Amino acid sequence: MILLLFIGAAALLISGFLLPLILGKRDSRAIRSVSLVAGMAASLLLIVLAVPILLGGSPAAFLVHVPGGLFSLGISIDRLAAFFLLLIAIVTICVALYAAEYFEHLEGGSRRNLLCGCTNLFILSMVLVVAAADTFTFFLAWELMAATSFFLVMYEYEQAATSRAGIFYFVMTNLSTLFVLLGIILLFLQTGSFVIGSIPGPSTVLTTLSFLSLFVGFAIKSGIIPFHKWLPYAHPASPSPISALMSGVMLKVAVYGLVRFTLDVFSPDLLFGLLILAFGTVSAVLGVIYALKEHDLKAMLAYSSIENIGIIFMGIGLYGILSACGLPLIASVALLAALFHSFNHALFKSLLFLTSGSVIHATHTRDIEQMGGIIHRMPKTAVFFFIGALAIAALPPLNGFASELLLFMAFFSSITVVTPLVKVLLFLCLALFALTSALSAACFVKAFGSVFLGLPRSVKAGDAQEVPFLMLAGPAFLSAGCVILGLLALQLITLAGFTVPMPDLLFVGILLAVMLVLIYAALLLISPRGFRIGETWGCGTLSQAASTEYTGHGFSEPLDIIFSPLYRTKIRNERRFFDDHGVIFQSGHAEIRLMKVFEEYLYLPAASCFIRITATVSRFQNGCLDTSLLAAFVTILVLILFLGWSV
Amino acid sequence: MNMEFVVYLFINTATVLLAAPLFVSLIKKIKAKTQGRQGPPVFQTYYQIAKLLRKEVVCSSHASWITRAAPLVNMAAILVAALFVPLVFVPEPVGGIGNIIVFLYLLSLARFFMALAGLDAGSSFGGMGSSREMSISAIIEPTTIIVFAAMAFVFKSMDIFAMFTGATVTGGTPATPVLILIGISLFIILVVETSRIPVDNPETHLELTMIHEGMLLEQSGKNLALMEYSSAIKLTLMMALLINIVIPAGLALTLTAAGIAVAAVLFIIKGSVLAVIIGLFESSMAKKRFFQLPSLFAMAFFFSTLIIIIEVFV
Repeated sequence: MILLLFIGAAALLISGFLLPLILGKRDSRAIRSVSLVAGMAASLLLIVLAVPILLGGSPAAFLVHVPGGLFSLGISIDRLAAFFLLLIAIVTICVALYAAEYFEHLEGGSRRNLLCGCTNLFILSMVLVVAAADTFTFFLAWELMAATSFFLVMYEYEQAATSRAGIFYFVMTNLSTLFVLLGIILLFLQTGSFVIGSIPGPSTVLTTLSFLSLFVGFAIKSGIIPFHKWLPYAHPASPSPISALMSGVMLKVAVYGLVRFTLDVFSPDLLFGLLILAFGTVSAVLGVIYALKEHDLKAMLAYSSIENIGIIFMGIGLYGILSACGLPLIASVALLAALFHSFNHALFKSLLFLTSGSVIHATHTRDIEQMGGIIHRMPKTAVFFFIGALAIAALPPLNGFASELLLFMAFFSSITVVTPLVKVLLFLCLALFALTSALSAACFVKAFGSVFLGLPRSVKAGDAQEVPFLMLAGPAFLSAGCVILGLLALQLITLAGFTVPMPDLLFVGILLAVMLVLIYAALLLISPRGFRIGETWGCGTLSQAASTEYTGHGFSEPLDIIFSPLYRTKIRNERRFFDDHGVIFQSGHAEIRLMKVFEEYLYLPAASCFIRITATVSRFQNGCLDTSLLAAFVTILVLILFLGWSV
Repeated sequence: MNMEFVVYLFINTATVLLAAPLFVSLIKKIKAKTQGRQGPPVFQTYYQIAKLLRKEVVCSSHASWITRAAPLVNMAAILVAALFVPLVFVPEPVGGIGNIIVFLYLLSLARFFMALAGLDAGSSFGGMGSSREMSISAIIEPTTIIVFAAMAFVFKSMDIFAMFTGATVTGGTPATPVLILIGISLFIILVVETSRIPVDNPETHLELTMIHEGMLLEQSGKNLALMEYSSAIKLTLMMALLINIVIPAGLALTLTAAGIAVAAVLFIIKGSVLAVIIGLFESSMAKKRFFQLPSLFAMAFFFSTLIIIIEVFV
């Protein structure tokens, strides 16, 4: 049964990929709709498949296993995989609904057919990564995911920014693949097979090395600082539904990889846990601080993804630390928090990407300083974005709060038990976690305020129109998901078979609703219903202009100044004078530049180092036959020597 | 849900609604006295809220539903938060009511709406207020969470109800040194969270000082009444948190009419004393420049962290 459903889903996705490819020349909406509907149908099948496994807790099922000598291809779905399949499927349905309309408004003619097809292949690759039974299948699917996502990012390849983003993404994603491959090979050296299972014997240097390379591979793919730089480039460059899929789902697939290998392969180790926690904390704090500074709406969301992935990594790291300390109960709360937050982030981040895609579609700009007042022009989109903002700012009773609450609880209960040194460290991480979540509230007040509230700051923002039905339907489902997962958090966790002493958010939600009704009723009774429209008070000026409003820059300025050491602004001030005493001013030059710290100190030096190495190597490749023969000869000689040596 | 808890819901909400305006006017009165002024009557805040409730609402033509929803949501969130802090009577917690993190984030919810309402009308003052409020609330957050974690550590629970019960059981007065240190940190958090000197000046509407008041500039009539009332309730909640942790004596643990009456009278007295202290504290200080605040908060953070480390290692 499960096998049939899975094969059905895969077949639908493949046909959704092939159909537009075969009929690629015809520019028709029907082809694209059929292709996207195939993706949605596949997702429905996946939901039907995943829910019973998730709730029933039936043991892992080896669905397919094709042995082929040393290598084998296998599909198996256990509860963890089912959880991530559910995540992929739900987000896919909503994104596909939205994309069915959104893709029609893109430029590119019949190229859009390919976009639909590639989206299906991308989803299939993610499904396969999650359902892979062994490391070999995992790696193949991982590579497929890297390739398809690259094509999707490159959709608008004519634009200079896109091709730059594409190259950046290509290099980073291949680095990730390289590290994952290295980790898998190192694991193979220890276990002698590609099965995802625990390493026999005590942990050695090889174990640590394989963990480190897998960690780096997954960290690059999920955008952990300092490997994050591709996110804020790739997300603004790709079409909004693709950003939603990449940020909402693909990053979670990388999280799945880390969780899968941490749980099943490596035995709990304090150092591994601390490493994951440290990287998570740094990403969470720096991610949100960079998000605050960003004024490109989609780049801001990308940085906020980095923050949320950081929070998820904090949960996984905490799990590692606690299980190494022999506290499986609290450890499972931390892991639950990480997984729950993955799901929640998938929902609200794709919601935010889709709604901001609508706003960008309506205003033709990504700069939030050019927007404003859109709540009056796109009221429904505004409501959905608002729900997403509430969820991501971790406000009760929405889902973002539910998972962060779990993580807070894991932190609070762990500090009473672990050793003093770890305790101090956990306190520090806890404080930074609190800072992160408060800053993300500030960030989304700024985002919602500058995009939707106040007066329109450009003509295009003033002319914005509400988007068509389908572009509202996708976000509508996602926002319903955000509300339901928040209110029913405790009930759903209990339903899945976990007992967590978590506050009942449904009760809090009901109390909030009751209070609202009571206050409203009381006001109706005791105060007049009179209501008058007036001008905004502007110190006596009669009409308010958009130019006097508080801008997004202005809003984040206090935090910019407070965190200025982290932003590394470079202020250059050169003046030349006519005289020696510096009195008569001749000319001057002043600039304030935001330094891209990671790019200037990490990426560019690494890149230039590679360029130097490749330049050296390419000297041997001079097109002369003799050199090539010599190279081949030396290679064979070395191989003979090496193989003879080891035998 | 048992009967006792339902009674608690009513008693707590009624107490906080009745007591909140008193403390606000008391602080104003003390500040006026230290400045050599007569000051408003002690019941002035009640009159003011009653008067505002009878006035009509004026909304900006640029404002959206956010401006109209914000006062309601703000008040509702604060009133639900009020259920998390027992003022006079501590029942058995039901359904996680009393969780300190939920309490903190309900205050956040109220603040989120208030900050958006500040941006809604497109006024530069509102934006200024929202921006500063969100910045300040963000950088005080690490301190708040550390203090709450310390409280959870000392009382071995994340539940405010259990903390208060724990504080009563351990004898109440005189409190242990750790509790006094936590009390000092809570006092700093109270000053910041309720926008008082040296962080913000609740008396003025000058652009240079206003944070909280700036956001309310576009509110009027019953909406303004709700905003003012909710900020008074928030003050009372923070005061109650401090009082019932440090001097919990008299807090009723069982539901008896006499016990609750005594506890209510005691709470009003303790609250008035704390209000006087806050008034004197505010009068003895000047408002700090906005960008000097982070260093103040850093100090508060180190102070709270030190307490915890002492707690951890001793």
